[in-house]
Amino acid sequence: MSPLLKTLENEVQIVALLFMAAVYGLRLVWLFRFKSRKERTFSEGKEAAGIGYSLLNIAMPWAVESARKKLGFYLQFVIFHLGVAAAIAATFIIPYAPRVFEVMAVVRLFQVMIGAAFFVGLMRLFRRLKEPAIRLISTADDYASLVLMVLFFAAGFLAVPNAYRSSEAALTAFFALTAFFLFYVPFSKIGHYLYYPFTHFFLGRTMGHRGVYPIKRGEKREGR
Amino acid sequence: MSSKKSEARAAVMTPLATKSQEKAKEEKLGSVAEGRLKTYERKANNAKRFVALLRKRMTRQIAASLAACVHCGRCAESCHYYLARPDDPTMTPVWKADQVRRIFKRHVDWTGRVIPWWVHAWTPVDDEDLNRLKDVVFGTCSACRRCTLNCPMGVDTALIIRFARGLLTELGIVPEGVFNVSRDQWETGNQMAVAEVDYLETLQWMKEELQAELGDPTVDVPVDKPDCDFLYVINPREIKFDPRSIANAAKIFHLAGESWTLPGKGWDMTNFGLYSGDDSLGGWVAKNVYEAASRLRAKRIVISECGHGYRSTRWEGYNWAGVDQRLPMESVVVTLGRYLTEGRIKVNKAKNSEPVTFHDSCNIARSGGITEEPRRVLRRVCADFREMAPNRTENYCCTGGGGLLSMAEYRPLRLEVARIKAEQLRATGAKLVCTMCHNCVDGLADVIKHYKLDMKVVQVLDLVSRGIPR
Repeated sequence: MSPLLKTLENEVQIVALLFMAAVYGLRLVWLFRFKSRKERTFSEGKEAAGIGYSLLNIAMPWAVESARKKLGFYLQFVIFHLGVAAAIAATFIIPYAPRVFEVMAVVRLFQVMIGAAFFVGLMRLFRRLKEPAIRLISTADDYASLVLMVLFFAAGFLAVPNAYRSSEAALTAFFALTAFFLFYVPFSKIGHYLYYPFTHFFLGRTMGHRGVYPIKRGEKREGR
Repeated sequence: MSSKKSEARAAVMTPLATKSQEKAKEEKLGSVAEGRLKTYERKANNAKRFVALLRKRMTRQIAASLAACVHCGRCAESCHYYLARPDDPTMTPVWKADQVRRIFKRHVDWTGRVIPWWVHAWTPVDDEDLNRLKDVVFGTCSACRRCTLNCPMGVDTALIIRFARGLLTELGIVPEGVFNVSRDQWETGNQMAVAEVDYLETLQWMKEELQAELGDPTVDVPVDKPDCDFLYVINPREIKFDPRSIANAAKIFHLAGESWTLPGKGWDMTNFGLYSGDDSLGGWVAKNVYEAASRLRAKRIVISECGHGYRSTRWEGYNWAGVDQRLPMESVVVTLGRYLTEGRIKVNKAKNSEPVTFHDSCNIARSGGITEEPRRVLRRVCADFREMAPNRTENYCCTGGGGLLSMAEYRPLRLEVARIKAEQLRATGAKLVCTMCHNCVDGLADVIKHYKLDMKVVQVLDLVSRGIPR
């Protein structure tokens, strides 16, 4: 292993992770400095149930029309994010638990997940360029984030066998991209997962309070 | 940055009309003089004021919704504007919200403050830019919240749109209709400027009609009667255009042996603050209702059939007014359901033999949580009830929501995109479309007329009243 790769896998990644955590911390402080609305009405439903439903309905494509009607797009979403999870996991497995990737079945599983995400990433990029409605709203950050993810998947696909002799370049690219992501993500749209719990918490709390969430049918409701 | 770089070239572009505002200033209306109703000041630096207001009024919920969007475009096909105009990329909810998001990014968010071009961050530079934003947030969105429930990120686009409307209302950069209705509600306490004498005379007229219809001189339409079971609050449209709905309610309450009253003041439960984004108007109007109930020592408040009125009075008003809810409150449809369940009124389905479908009001279903109660009532009073598809929280807007019925300049676009609603209505084969919202009644009536559908709009009270045997 070259000194560069060793540094990238260890010191650089740790510094980058600490940086990302610090920026995320500041981002939360930023978000929580905005005032929040106080709810003053009697509840018709359960806020906790609404929050739970809102947070989890991403995994219930049948419950959301936009997912139910476009199952193909939903599947792309699932594949893409499974690939993200696998690639992130690989950034920890390679330096800290390399024996995991000594099992060829695990390597192949990761390669399938990351490889599929790579193709979905290309499809998403194509869609963003092709569809006028999506093109109009797309920013440089949107394109850059997607291109970076595609490159990250490509590098990850080649890196997971963790064969230093044959694929050191791929490993170096993979960890260089990882470090870059950790610095860049908090300032880009890729950091959207930081907001996901909050947007869904706020929406779920309101909708749960009003009895809209969880969406169900046939319940009896009296005025309160 | 030049205003020409604004992407806010909406499908509709209308000049800012300020005739009514100028007149209100000349007449020194109380609401204008006291600063409650804001008017347009040409010489003010409105772009700067807009940004300052945006920063000042930003809430955690709105900031999260503005920061979280990933531009995936999943919201597009949930919007009837986009579905009706799929070749117009400015019709997507995300593009509309982005016109606000870009300003947020430029002034509040991090990356956009440093490298604005990277994230499309932008700032309005003059009143033209704000006027274009006005056309987007007032003219191309009925704030139906359908996109919100379809967003994988939980972005509440309707909340963003209302927020932007509120900022523009503060600057007087609003469609003339929005100003006029806000003025009427501030000045008279009701959004149709119904005079007190007209209100009381209409109630008296309905009382006499009912007494004649039922042959019972004890039937009453009580006003300001203290210590009743409930205070009934209505939509001024009922006084002005549809007094029969009050008579229907009074008849049913009478037959159910109910103790109820209308208030002499604070009877308008509609609330233009919801549409204009003006929380101060919203809070004041809602508080009038709450205070009327308190003054008359009513045990609860029952809200007549009105979508935005229900949402404003039941859910938003307390928060806008900054007062805690003290009395239980319900829609009159819930009250009707209880009467039927308890056997307090008898109905005959055969009296409503025509096929009926139900249109869920956005403010009642998606933002209010009532979907099953009207269906239970309709199944009891109609011989042929059929669902439209989609329905409940997935129903499409009547197209007149978000105050659009008061904005004449956006009517052509509204009726064009109403094609989605028309197709949905036509597919039911129903002869009657029932809704529990006066705003939807007018919105649907427009759709039916424009698309030449063979159906009529009715409300739940109409059908229940009609179903009661003589």
